[in-house]
Amino acid sequence: MLEANNITVSYDSRDAVSGVSLRTVAGQIVAIIGPNGAGKSTLLRALNGTVRPAQGTVLLDGRSIDSYARRTVARRIAVVAQEADLRFPVTVFEFVLAGRYAWSKAGTWGWENDLDVEVTQKVLAETELVEFETRLMNELSGGERQRAVLARALATEAGVLLLDEPTANLDIAHQASMLRLVRKRSDDRRTAAVVVTHDANLAAQFADRVMLMKHGRAIADGPPQEILTADLMRNVFDLEILVDAHPISGAPRITPVL
Amino acid sequence: MNLSTTKRVGHTTLSRTVLVCGLLLVALFLVLLLALVIGSQQLPIRGSLCALTAGSNCALSSEERAILFDIRLPRILLAGVVGMCLAAAGAAYQALLRNPLAEPYLLGVSNGAAVGTMAALVFFGTFEWSRPVLAFAGAATATFVVYRLGRGRTGATPERLILAGVIVTTFLSSAIVFITTVMDATRIRSFTFWLLGDLSGTTGGLLSAAFGAAAIGVVALSLNARSLNLLMLGERDAFDLGVEVTRVRLIVFAAASLLVGASVASSGSVGYVGLVVPHLVRLSFGSDNRLVIPAAAVAGAAFVIVADTLARTLIAPRELPVGAITALIGAPLFVYLLKR
Repeated sequence: MLEANNITVSYDSRDAVSGVSLRTVAGQIVAIIGPNGAGKSTLLRALNGTVRPAQGTVLLDGRSIDSYARRTVARRIAVVAQEADLRFPVTVFEFVLAGRYAWSKAGTWGWENDLDVEVTQKVLAETELVEFETRLMNELSGGERQRAVLARALATEAGVLLLDEPTANLDIAHQASMLRLVRKRSDDRRTAAVVVTHDANLAAQFADRVMLMKHGRAIADGPPQEILTADLMRNVFDLEILVDAHPISGAPRITPVL
Repeated sequence: MNLSTTKRVGHTTLSRTVLVCGLLLVALFLVLLLALVIGSQQLPIRGSLCALTAGSNCALSSEERAILFDIRLPRILLAGVVGMCLAAAGAAYQALLRNPLAEPYLLGVSNGAAVGTMAALVFFGTFEWSRPVLAFAGAATATFVVYRLGRGRTGATPERLILAGVIVTTFLSSAIVFITTVMDATRIRSFTFWLLGDLSGTTGGLLSAAFGAAAIGVVALSLNARSLNLLMLGERDAFDLGVEVTRVRLIVFAAASLLVGASVASSGSVGYVGLVVPHLVRLSFGSDNRLVIPAAAVAGAAFVIVADTLARTLIAPRELPVGAITALIGAPLFVYLLKR
């Protein structure tokens, strides 16, 4: 599994992340919550090996992530970034099929095989995109496009999913469907997921664990009920926050007091 | 199968690529044959075909034979090689820089190669080989500079990259003016002509060197086409999906510079080929670079052969530079792409 041990990441001598540890667990979803600039996305980029920590280590199955070829990492860790900006006409099928790149038997060239096509078709069905497969990406709505980005990550069949604000810019129906898909993947395949999100209420409902971040540091880490408390949230967001129980799910419900 | 509508097929396959490239090769062959017999002096088709297939007793006068083999054939082959180089390089730049407007001529890469070629002519005139080598060096340097200038703090935007290309182009144009000024006056006119693309006056050695470079470049790009497909979606995405971005970028820049260097060293700067051809290929067959790069190479060869045939027949017996024809077709298309 993937773990960050006491990592510090610096940009221009400023620490974006300082001394954070995070361990993914198979089948568990961890939500990272914190104000803008808290270092959440940077932590995600470090977990994926995109940025190198100045201190501490990021280990994938016990070995430093830098010691793997990128293709190997891509087979184990998939990233869902915020919406892609496409300048060429690419079909939804092609876009999702790109998730199979790291599995190519022929190295970095050649063509996708039958298995790649089969996995792509399955993922398109899972994400309800089959009817769009021959459409061009830029003809889709924002919600559909973001679902295609998730589909591409699922097509990698990686055991760890890293999602950077996957539900930003989506309406509540699409937010729910995105997170249901991630939850389903975690339950079905014991996939570990780390989700950076601004939506504490959604996190309270779908996450197994929540980590609060502020100024590059992890303030608290644990089950949603223990972490999403009025005291901790007030401390992290510098704002009076009311926490009660969701009437149906019983999960913490967070309401800023304005 | 109606090829023009198959863009809507979910994804591109090897068999489709082979089919498309095969059909384009047939078209290229026909264009090549036509270009051989058309000109200020028409050649008899049957006699020419007979002579080309190494037949004896062909109905061709010795003067016609000389036109066919000594003038037209090398020139048309060179046109083909130049078109192949520029179209494949254009397709690669567009994918790598994620910019449908990227093109060797507009990015200043062609001018970089031109400065290299002119420097070779002025300083190492006796070594024919210094031309392609310095052209490659010039193209590679210009590519690097444009790439760096085009990346701002917020990343590369298409507009910023084109502006960087304009800056590099104008800077290098002054360098070209400087070199032409110190040159002796008798050579200036032929240089001006060459700068706009001149396909006459090639030698067997240069032609085969250009062909070799074209083959290496197109093969290198095609082998990295699957990685380019991912880079086209964004460098970060490509990295996340397993592409060794730095390595692929280096190979593609080197291969594209080699292609531009080979073409400029042998024919000057023919503009817009790298813009027009990949665009039409993508419009017809989709954006998969595994198809786009080889198909653009073949279609580019045909395109420049046609443009050159127009250049030498429109106001025959006088000739236009082939670059004037390609720009006449390409510039309006650029405006259209920019407005989209």
